[in-house]
Amino acid sequence: MSLPCRVSLLPLAALTLLAACGRETRDFSNRMMDSPHRGAKFSGNAWRISNGARLFVWMNCAGCHSHGGGGIGPPLMDAKWRYGSSMADVAYTILNGRPGGMPAFRGKITEDQAWELAAYVRSMSARTRRDALSGRADEPANVEPLPLEKRRRARAVTPEQDAAQKESSKIEGTGP
Amino acid sequence: MRRGAVLLVMALGGCSALYGPQSSAMGQGMESAHIGNLFDLFLWVTVPIYLGVMVFLALAMRRRQARVQGAARPEQEAGWRLGLVLFAVTSALILFGLSVATWFTDRTIARAGAGPALSVEVIGHQWWWEVRYHDPVAGRELRTANELVIPAGATVKVSLSSPDVIHSLWIPNLAGKQDLIPGRTSDVVLKVPKPGEFRAQCAEFCGLQHAQMALPVSVRAPGDFAKWYNAGLATPPVPGGGPEFAGYSLFTGRQCASCHNIAGTPASGQVAPDLTHFGSRTTIASGVLPNTAASLDRWIADPQRVKPGTQMPQVPLSPEERAAVVAYLESLK
Amino acid sequence: MKSIWPVSVLMILLAALVGLGAAVLATTYPAPHATFSDRPVVYGALPAPQDRARLASWAQPSPDGQWTWQLGDSAASRFSPLDDINARNVAQLKPVFTFETGLKRGHEAGPLVVGDTMYVTTPYPNDVYALDLTRPGAPVKWKYHPQSQKAAQGVACCDVVNRGAVYGAGRLYFNTLDGQTIALDAATGHEVWKAKLAEISKGETITMAPLLAEGRVLVGTSGGEMGVRGSLAALDAASGKLVWRAYSTGPDKDVLIGPEFRPFYKQDQGKDLGVSTWNPEGWKIGGGNPWGWVSYDPELHLIFYGTGNPGPWNPDQRPGDNKWTAGVFARDVRTGQARWFYQTSPHDLFDYDDINESLLLDIPTRQGLRKVVARPARSGFFQIIDRMSGQVLSAKPFAYINSMKGVDLTSGRPIMNPDKEPKEGRTTRNICPAAPGGKDWNPVSFSPRTGLVYIAHNNLCMDEGDVDTNYIAGTPYLGTEARMYPGPGGNRGVFTAWDPVAGRKVWEIREDLPLWSGTLATAGDVVFYGTMDGWFKAIDARTGRLLWRTKLVSGIIGMPMTYKGPDGRQYVAIFAGVGGWSGAIVSGALDPGDPTTALGFVNAMKDLVKRTDAGGRLYVFALPR
Repeated sequence: MSLPCRVSLLPLAALTLLAACGRETRDFSNRMMDSPHRGAKFSGNAWRISNGARLFVWMNCAGCHSHGGGGIGPPLMDAKWRYGSSMADVAYTILNGRPGGMPAFRGKITEDQAWELAAYVRSMSARTRRDALSGRADEPANVEPLPLEKRRRARAVTPEQDAAQKESSKIEGTGP
Repeated sequence: MRRGAVLLVMALGGCSALYGPQSSAMGQGMESAHIGNLFDLFLWVTVPIYLGVMVFLALAMRRRQARVQGAARPEQEAGWRLGLVLFAVTSALILFGLSVATWFTDRTIARAGAGPALSVEVIGHQWWWEVRYHDPVAGRELRTANELVIPAGATVKVSLSSPDVIHSLWIPNLAGKQDLIPGRTSDVVLKVPKPGEFRAQCAEFCGLQHAQMALPVSVRAPGDFAKWYNAGLATPPVPGGGPEFAGYSLFTGRQCASCHNIAGTPASGQVAPDLTHFGSRTTIASGVLPNTAASLDRWIADPQRVKPGTQMPQVPLSPEERAAVVAYLESLK
Repeated sequence: MKSIWPVSVLMILLAALVGLGAAVLATTYPAPHATFSDRPVVYGALPAPQDRARLASWAQPSPDGQWTWQLGDSAASRFSPLDDINARNVAQLKPVFTFETGLKRGHEAGPLVVGDTMYVTTPYPNDVYALDLTRPGAPVKWKYHPQSQKAAQGVACCDVVNRGAVYGAGRLYFNTLDGQTIALDAATGHEVWKAKLAEISKGETITMAPLLAEGRVLVGTSGGEMGVRGSLAALDAASGKLVWRAYSTGPDKDVLIGPEFRPFYKQDQGKDLGVSTWNPEGWKIGGGNPWGWVSYDPELHLIFYGTGNPGPWNPDQRPGDNKWTAGVFARDVRTGQARWFYQTSPHDLFDYDDINESLLLDIPTRQGLRKVVARPARSGFFQIIDRMSGQVLSAKPFAYINSMKGVDLTSGRPIMNPDKEPKEGRTTRNICPAAPGGKDWNPVSFSPRTGLVYIAHNNLCMDEGDVDTNYIAGTPYLGTEARMYPGPGGNRGVFTAWDPVAGRKVWEIREDLPLWSGTLATAGDVVFYGTMDGWFKAIDARTGRLLWRTKLVSGIIGMPMTYKGPDGRQYVAIFAGVGGWSGAIVSGALDPGDPTTALGFVNAMKDLVKRTDAGGRLYVFALPR
């Protein structure tokens, strides 16, 4: 390999490594909670999403929402968000509850844990970095979240539902 | 003989912990006894063979030298050949004998688990041990965490499983390593003749805190064990007042109750160690810290500093609140 | 010229393979609208008149053409003596009026008719309407809207349903989702009294229809999926004060087990079994909620009801037989003291709640008529239990069962199939029947004219895997992931005509969708039921032949009823409003992308979205004048 080739590989390698840094950082100090960009930091971090996946079962979220399909509670893997889909909105919902029956988890979990759960919930509809998602668990509900565009095509069964999905996705974005 | 070999290793390696509570060298369990006998047999058989081989090697080298110097005597060839054949045959027989001895030892150990007096289930989590004692009467099943207490002299069958990743239970003084594999149940049989305190450890890498996943194992006289067991089944009373009551209110009202269980209180969380009789335990967080009020305060203040990556979060408590919770937990004897 | 034989043989083989593959695929994955014939499959003959089961001797099903209780009478017959509508003219039924509740959740209740008024209860928010049947179109006479907590919707396991009201002595009694029992003056709709029996903060709700017996209103809580300790309470019908409360777990004094208790089987005899058959403290969050049906025998002063599943669903967290869950109690209605108990599913592994109705029948035996309790249980067995002693006389499967091999009548225990035991960390496959059981809450009917019990039920199997679950008050306490699918044959529902004396199926109709409506039998030898995609059907009570059907605006999970109107005509009424556990994919807009949704039910109901919509409309039919 020529010298220019070899030299140009170095920044490429460095970039690749750096890209992985944010995704795999494990910060045990709770400093992240004060960061102004904590939404993005949580929802782009594989470790936080994986903690959220664990807490989702531990705190019985799966009891009401199954693994995203809903049940007692509404589905979390679709495009319909009653109370907003941003990290701050979802974390608020988890900590304070909502009128239709969503219990308030403030005092039952820490704020840190609520944000981890928010990151995981958003990952169920693939709103987080795709490369930060956990691997497929070996359990009866092992379903990989499809990106919304694919899901919309697969799932629109009536024109009304299709229109509703298009409408709600216009309002929401995929931001932090 | 065994002691001598061990002393030799000690002299060479200088490991002073070989006599301690976490040592496979001076095993005390039933398995150790059988395997120890097998070890002795091997030692008695293989050391002479080794010495013999060395002697023959030296003789052979001398003979080679002699031949080079032209002093070989042809009539010795036949003798050597016969010796070689005899040696080969004897080796084969000895190997066969050792295999049979190994097989019988293995079968004896496997059969020893039949008809256990006590059945215990140890479930390995990241990074703590859950212990459930079985009893024909469901109401007498005891659940505890991060301690294994068994009666001396009785056959105890410990079944092992894990809900998350592969762990391995290793009680060096009492038994060999046995993996805890998700989706499977394995078991290890303990039969310890004399009481004692030992330390077990996780022996299969299981994540960030694999190294801090020890398990204090206590072997007690049958009377002491029964006393401990019945005390474990008793429900601790709700404290009447003082810092213990404040701690109780905080424990049941805050995040603690979402994960931990204390019998007789509204705290019925099932995903973290059962704390019903936490005050009687010797360590905190599965062997990481000794169970003292100061250590417990340090643990609750910031678990991530003590055991980074552990699944217990930093629960927001003021120093006074923390002291109350510590007082309550230490009062749960 | 090369021989064409090798090529043509090859082409024929290829075509055969393709055909075979298509056939295999077609049978393994039936087309979404798999059709099953309406023609009944006949297994045997109807019982001869002397061999027929009879309704309990004291029972008087719906005299005067009224309908004051969801099950028709306290023997749970759901039989009407009206015969104006019969097998010959039922095909002429036309809708006379409809009533919209304005709600789009599951409508499980049926209306009541007393005199000139029809009373309708709705799913959450549990409104009650009185309709004036003397005026055309049945306008609303009064409406009652209870003050209830909105958050109750977050702790109701299986849609925010309500199974109806009961009428007695000028009053209407019903329950609200957030745990109130309310008595209304039937003429004016004014609230007479209100009692609070359940706390939603603990995960408790109430969905059942209360029974009125000897001046007591009997109310059972729901919450077996939320770690709730179940109980049945008796309120004084006049004042609403609590007379007694019997818990389903815990020490004998809470379960109201005293000197009168004479259980037939050895495993039910002992002190404080409601504590010792659980891990320590497990009974406090152990379930056993009696959220289903209560029957009443006025001669024996006994009520019969079943307790729900133990909690959590994951059985490894609650070793022991878990008394007194998943079994049937007989209690003295005056004091609540237990008389006998039989546990249908000890240490329940599959969520086989035992809350199904208890029909009070007299069956002919060699020694004469024997008083029994006939129960089409959730486990799929049709139990015949002696009404006085609690001895199980027979338990034959009316659905396909592989989770249990049978019931040992000597010990009373079901013979479990160890291959179907759910385990932690592993998935156990093809467990039949699935968690909703051979039949869920939707009640059967019995016709004394044919001696047959008409059962609308399921044919579902499931895969189940367990994980250790956490307990947090007010959140689910389950530990199970399940995935359901059609049982053998591919049909998810079955309509069975069952002879309780012989213990066998006489004929059955296979339905594509699970059947979650109640059935109604009339003296006109017509039986009514509805399907989950909205077909309301009338079949011949003797042969099962389809006589009439009509498509309603939404799927049917309610209970059909019939009454004689003020003009003397016979009317048939049914709610169309799909939902409940089976219809949650529609009423809750759930996502089938996750197969464990709604505890696995959605996996079996993915096509329901295309076949029906949510709704809430009451239809009333009659013959043309």
